[in-house]
Parts: sequence; C-alpha cells; structure tokens
Amino acid sequence: MTEKTETNQRFCGNCGSHNAYNYPMEVFCTNRFLRNKAAIVKTLWCCEEWHLNPQKCECVEEAKKKRIPRT
Amino acid sequence: MSQRKDLLDAPVKSIRINGTVTVDQLIAQFKNSGSFGAGRISQACDIYERMVRDKKCTVFLALAGAMVPAGMRSLIADLIRERLIDVVVSTGANMVHDAIEALGGNHYKGHWLMNDHVLYKYHVYRIYDVLVPEEDFIKLDCGLVEIYDQIASESKEKALSSSMFARELGKRLNDPNSILHAAYETNTPVFLPAVRDSEFGYAYYLHASRRNFQNTLVIDAFKDVPEIIGICRRSAKNGMIVIGGGVPRNTVQSAALATKSGLDYAVVITLDRPETGGLSGSTLEETVSWGKLKGTADHVMVIGDAMIVFPMMVASVMERIGKNFKRKEKSK
Repeated sequence: MTEKTETNQRFCGNCGSHNAYNYPMEVFCTNRFLRNKAAIVKTLWCCEEWHLNPQKCECVEEAKKKRIPRT
Repeated sequence: MSQRKDLLDAPVKSIRINGTVTVDQLIAQFKNSGSFGAGRISQACDIYERMVRDKKCTVFLALAGAMVPAGMRSLIADLIRERLIDVVVSTGANMVHDAIEALGGNHYKGHWLMNDHVLYKYHVYRIYDVLVPEEDFIKLDCGLVEIYDQIASESKEKALSSSMFARELGKRLNDPNSILHAAYETNTPVFLPAVRDSEFGYAYYLHASRRNFQNTLVIDAFKDVPEIIGICRRSAKNGMIVIGGGVPRNTVQSAALATKSGLDYAVVITLDRPETGGLSGSTLEETVSWGKLKGTADHVMVIGDAMIVFPMMVASVMERIGKNFKRKEKSK
C-alpha cells in the first residue's frame, strides 16, 4: 500500500519525462528542455504537465531520505 | 610444390619466462611458439611495426565495440599524438563516450552478473561489466545541444561531413585525454560513418526539436566518401588496424577498394565468427576476394579480446621503435 502511494505521488521524480541529473535531488525534464524551459528541476517538485512514469525508479524515495536527515 | 623438409623447417619453441620480461620480450616468446593466438598476436605486432616504419603508409584505425568505456581512450589519444595512427574511423558510440569523459563524466567498474533491474531503478546503464550513470549521458546531451547550436549558427545549414563534425566537436572538447581533441590538435581525420546511430543522433533530435527543425546542424554522410577515398588515393600505401569490425572496418576497406589497389597491411582483432557472413568476423582472405585487400598484403586476424590484444601490440611496437622514433607527417 505504502509503495503504491509513493510511486503515484505527483513529483518530477515520478514523472515519465524525467532522467537522473544530480541524483537523487535533481532530475532532468526532457519535456521542459524541448520547450526551452529550465529543464533541471528538483526531484520532489512537480509541474502542471506531470504524468506518471511506468518506470519504478528510486529517485523520489532516495530524495526523500536525503531531504529529511535521520538522527 | 614444397618438399617435405620445407614443411618442417620451423620448429615450435617453448615459451620461456625467466623472471621479469617486458611486453615485447613476451611477444618475442609468443613468436617463438608461433602457435594459436600467441603466433597471431606476435604477427600482428610485426605488421603494425612495419606499418609505422613504412614512410609511404597511411595507418587507419577502425574502431568498433565499447573500447572507450572500457578504458582505451587515452591509449588512442596518445597514438594520435605520437602519429602512430593517421586516420580514425569509429562508431559514433565510442566518440560519444569520449565526449562523456571530456565533459566530466565517468565510466565505472561493474560486473557482468549485476542485477539489471536494480541498475534500471537507479538510472545506471551497463555495458557488459562497465557502468555509466544516466546523468553523464544527460549532461552530454545538454553539452552537445549547445555545441550543435554553435555549429549550426556558424555553418548556416551548410552540410558537414562526419569528419568535419568530429573536428568541430574536438575543437570544443578541452580535454587532453580526449580522442576527438587529440585528433583536432593534430589535424587527424576522424570519420563517424554511422554517426546518427549513437547519442549524437538523439542529441540532434533535442537540438532540432528546440528549433522546430529550422536552421539545424546538417551532417551529410556521403560527404565522407570523397574525403576518405582521397586520403587513400594520395597515399602510396594504406594499412588498417581493425578493432571489432562493423561499419568502421568496411568504411576503410571500401575506400581502399575505390583506389583500385586495395590495402597493403591489415590487422583485425575480433571475437566474431565468419559463418554469419557479417563483416566483423569475415576473414581477411574474404576481403582479398573483393579487392579491398591486396593478395600480397601483410595481414593477420587475431581472435581475441581487443582490450588485451591491442594495448599489448602498442606496448610491444613502442618498445621496438623507441621514444625518439618520429613518423613523417602525412598529408591528409
């Protein structure tokens, strides 16, 4: 259940247009690049053109871990 | 017809390793054996030595297979600088990986039995036992799009041959270990006959899409043909060293065929087999039938891993010719 919620969350790191850039915190968005928009975006950001990535990658999970340092 | 005694005049000598040996001393032991792969690699060293010592010969390197990711990049760049190679004909992919490293990316040691689902999840690509992070490709794409934009502005839709394109790339890759940069600095032609079949092609898509396919970089593969044939024609003799085979090998051979005289020297290093009819495994005797290699040519095919064979060949030949050896600069 938890995993499903995670992968469906609207983050750039879950979007079908993303590639790794500065792993895991930043991704590269091909869609934005092709439209001459800033293409390097935060993994945990999301724009209006988000669409779910069928690929199950670790970007979001890893970015979340790195964002909240555990003590 | 030879007599029986002629057939038995060269006995196989056992390989002797007495303590420390240099690479060329080891190759000399291989020559003493003269058998199997040892015999072939020693012959390859002799032929390469004759090629570089022959003042009339232009040496072509045909490069296929993931040699740059596996670590052959600086070796080839050094050979270009030392003028032990006059012309490079490569897959697009090898030069893509050259550019990846020139732009700060890296290749990493992995294993051929890694879990590829895990690699996929972490955006890491595998080339047998070499790993490349996806971001290095993305950073390359961004860099290439910028370079393509510059070239397009300068060339104003005038088509470039693949060697002109390689030169433009080499000019902009400021890395002394880069093959493309070494070629640019020494005015060594690099032909990329299948340039679009690599990340260079995808970067073109990104570059052209952003410009609505107007005023884009234009590469005309046919422009290579008179260029490479011209190099062969101007040279009294031509020799090739083939790593792998494929399109690069045939590009060199076809240029030699067009001169109507065929190649004078050939060393092919491959693991491919001839039975498929594919070029990479085709024997050099088959090449003779096409007129691409002279029937009298000095030639050998080494069946082996080029990552082992080629550096050994280079080390052996460099040892023979010495540090002060200078080849005459070719007119290209």
